[in-house]
Amino acid sequence: MENLAQLGAGIAIGFGAIGAGLGIGVATKGLMDAVSRQPEVAGKAFGFFLLGAALAEACALYAFVIAFQLLGK
Amino acid sequence: MEHWVYCFQILGHKLYVNLDTVFTMWFAMICLIIFAFIATRKLSLIPGKLQALCEKIMGLLWGTMDSMMPADNRKHVPLVASLFLFILFANLMGQLPLRIIHLKTGELASPTNDINLTAAMAVIVLIYYVGAGIAKKGPKFFLHNFSFVSIVKALVELLEMVTRPLSLAIRLFANIFAGEILVSIALAASAYFAPIPVMLFEILVAFIQATVFMMLTIAYIGSAVEDEH
Repeated sequence: MENLAQLGAGIAIGFGAIGAGLGIGVATKGLMDAVSRQPEVAGKAFGFFLLGAALAEACALYAFVIAFQLLGK
Repeated sequence: MEHWVYCFQILGHKLYVNLDTVFTMWFAMICLIIFAFIATRKLSLIPGKLQALCEKIMGLLWGTMDSMMPADNRKHVPLVASLFLFILFANLMGQLPLRIIHLKTGELASPTNDINLTAAMAVIVLIYYVGAGIAKKGPKFFLHNFSFVSIVKALVELLEMVTRPLSLAIRLFANIFAGEILVSIALAASAYFAPIPVMLFEILVAFIQATVFMMLTIAYIGSAVEDEH
């Protein structure tokens, strides 16, 4: 049972990281598009990018919490 | 990460208190209170360095509120500003060398690595924005014009009342907690040198998470008090 829980923890954090990675990738693409089209908004857009990246990253961290619960602390 | 748990009984119920979180929380709060006390002595028209810093912080908060909540937003500043400053102080405290003070179990780190603290703050935000909505609109806050869409909308809003504080609490907790795990892994890899870039990154995360918590709080309050279209 112990080994299965460890397997589950690995799967959980892996799939969670896929979503967060896609999310941050899309956010970075949006930032690059905006900055290359209109370089003067770079500072303002970077603030919003950091916020969006933090929100996307949070999804991976939910998976991290689940994985940590599975490992039994 | 264990905590220093203290257990006592009230009316036959066991209550558990994480003492290390309580200590570090009060430490952060006392730091913040002393900072605010020193900064607001001897206010002058020509600001000194500390006063200029505080005016900058408040200007930043007011700018954020103006851009996210157009009308009548100054009365929400106390909650939002104190949440932001407390979370910022609490997160940054994790990088102080407080761990050299040895406890029986657990360690002194940032108080936001305990989900009980972040969940309490998230519940405060929930109560505040529902209260602000009721104060603004009265019972109309819960009522919509009747149509089929409004039934679905009501169910979604009911669900949001659970998921919003849950995501607020877990986001802040998990970010700080994952940061500490990351530092400990780097410490195991190569002591003294590998953790330094990770800790620098954690300082960035501390600022970002405080900002995210504040902005989501503003957005929730804004969505509760805005007029329906």
